Amino acid sequence: METLTIKETISGVLESTLEHTNFEMHDELTAKDVDGWDSLSHMIIITKIEKAFNIKFKLRDLNKLKNMGSLVSVIQSKI
Amino acid sequence: MNLTLEIQSSIITNYKNNAFYISNTYYTYEDLAQTISNIRHAIKKNTKKTECFVGLITNDDIYTYASIIALWMEGKAYVPLNPDFPEDRNLAVIKQADIVTVLDSSSKKVFNNLNSIMTENLNDSDIDLNPTEISNEDFAYIFFTSGTTGTPKGVPITFGNLSGFMEAQWALDYIITENDRCLQMFELTFDLSVVSYLAPILKGACIYTIPKEEIKYSYIFELMEDHELTYSLMVPSILHYLRPYFDEINCPSMKFSLFCGEALPLDVTEEWSKCIPNATIANVYGPTECTIYCMDYTYKRNDENKTHNGVLTIGKDMINTSTIIVDDDDNEVETGKEGELCLSGIQLTPGYWRNEEKNKQVFFNKHYKGKETRFYRTGDLCYADKDGDVLYLGRVDFQAKIQGFRVELSEIEFHVKASLNKINTVAVAFTNDIQNTEIGLVIESEPIDTKELIQKLNEKLPKYMIPTQIKFISSFPLNSNGKTDRNKLTKLFTE
Repeated sequence: METLTIKETISGVLESTLEHTNFEMHDELTAKDVDGWDSLSHMIIITKIEKAFNIKFKLRDLNKLKNMGSLVSVIQSKI
Repeated sequence: MNLTLEIQSSIITNYKNNAFYISNTYYTYEDLAQTISNIRHAIKKNTKKTECFVGLITNDDIYTYASIIALWMEGKAYVPLNPDFPEDRNLAVIKQADIVTVLDSSSKKVFNNLNSIMTENLNDSDIDLNPTEISNEDFAYIFFTSGTTGTPKGVPITFGNLSGFMEAQWALDYIITENDRCLQMFELTFDLSVVSYLAPILKGACIYTIPKEEIKYSYIFELMEDHELTYSLMVPSILHYLRPYFDEINCPSMKFSLFCGEALPLDVTEEWSKCIPNATIANVYGPTECTIYCMDYTYKRNDENKTHNGVLTIGKDMINTSTIIVDDDDNEVETGKEGELCLSGIQLTPGYWRNEEKNKQVFFNKHYKGKETRFYRTGDLCYADKDGDVLYLGRVDFQAKIQGFRVELSEIEFHVKASLNKINTVAVAFTNDIQNTEIGLVIESEPIDTKELIQKLNEKLPKYMIPTQIKFISSFPLNSNGKTDRNKLTKLFTE
């Protein structure tokens, strides 16, 4: 899948979970930069992303998701 | 035992050992000794001898842990202040404890109006680990917990309390040696952090902390596997988060896995035991008021374990605590009868800080085993079985009264969990628009059809115990202590 398509899907998940679009999708984007992306919404976001791409993260994957770039590449490795 | 002398002796004996692993960096006991000495020098220079309580900004770094030891060596107590807490709350704590000085390892001062000792870039001074003389009545720390009236409630713990706790901890035989690698997963405003750093320091073991920006449960898993942790104390909520991934976890190095702070369900414990095949699992219990924990039960592998509503027993009191279970008039109830659990012994706090009203409510004297004994009412509803093992029923205040009936929320949770295979759930009591108490159920999952669930509950429970509203949330919020935040879940029904 194209990186761009993946990012669009993630962006949609963020928007629907956090109910705002005050973020720009770039590789260095981290949870800290996005309003409302805390440890609780993180769980929700991860679950929705798993669903959207029909993948399942391993426990070890979760620590690798440091920024948007790494999130996209972990997803790419699974689809 | 003399706590500060033992800390000194352990640090010196284990100079070349690793003391901490924080954010991918190891610090030896020699590094710790140097950092303690530097901070101690700054404390001597910048505080008055009479200052008893010193604020501590709870960062996750070597300076913050060294600050605690430095304060103790100077005979002072620390009051943890979480920089992420609302400012008003921190200011209320600062005011209550008369804090003038704050030890702060941040790059920018957290509190501008206080005497901040910045601990990060101090010059090296001579190693000085000789503690000043300390009495058992001197304070080691005050932890503030939320009070029902909105003002935080201070629980001061003395060196006598803390020494009593450590003595009881060693008597449990959950042995730590200088070769152990121990987890410290707690925010420093939560008293379970104290045993998580203090026990390893007293034995020369290495302490592994969780950086604040990491996701706790997955980071804990990596520490366990990559660093072959041997000792851990956790809140059961971590297990609920890890449960979907249990089949990925295999940590044969783990020797002791302790749980505290919340009810520990037997079924999760059984599954967890397979992830840590060589570990002794224990359920320990205790409120901050009785210094960290004071009761203990060792889980039996491949054998019967005592439970109530699926929750593991909290076992028996540890050596420095005596427990009784009483009715509303402070009379001991018969074996097997439920009542409020009360604690006494040398771990018990001298009382809430400047809060005589609350002290009168929860501490009482009673003639017990031939002498006048001071007891603390825990607010926990329990009963003891014929072997003396204590079973936890729930909070006295989790007990809701619905249409005049006493309802134990944990009982509802038990039946929901039994019906929904492995899904976590919390029952809350909330006040509806017409000021009646209703029961709400929060299920940790995507929305599911609950028709069958309600049907099953109706088979098990009286009508008044059936939840009237159900909400779904994909994961339970945790409070700053890492426990399921029941207040937030209750708000789902009231806001």
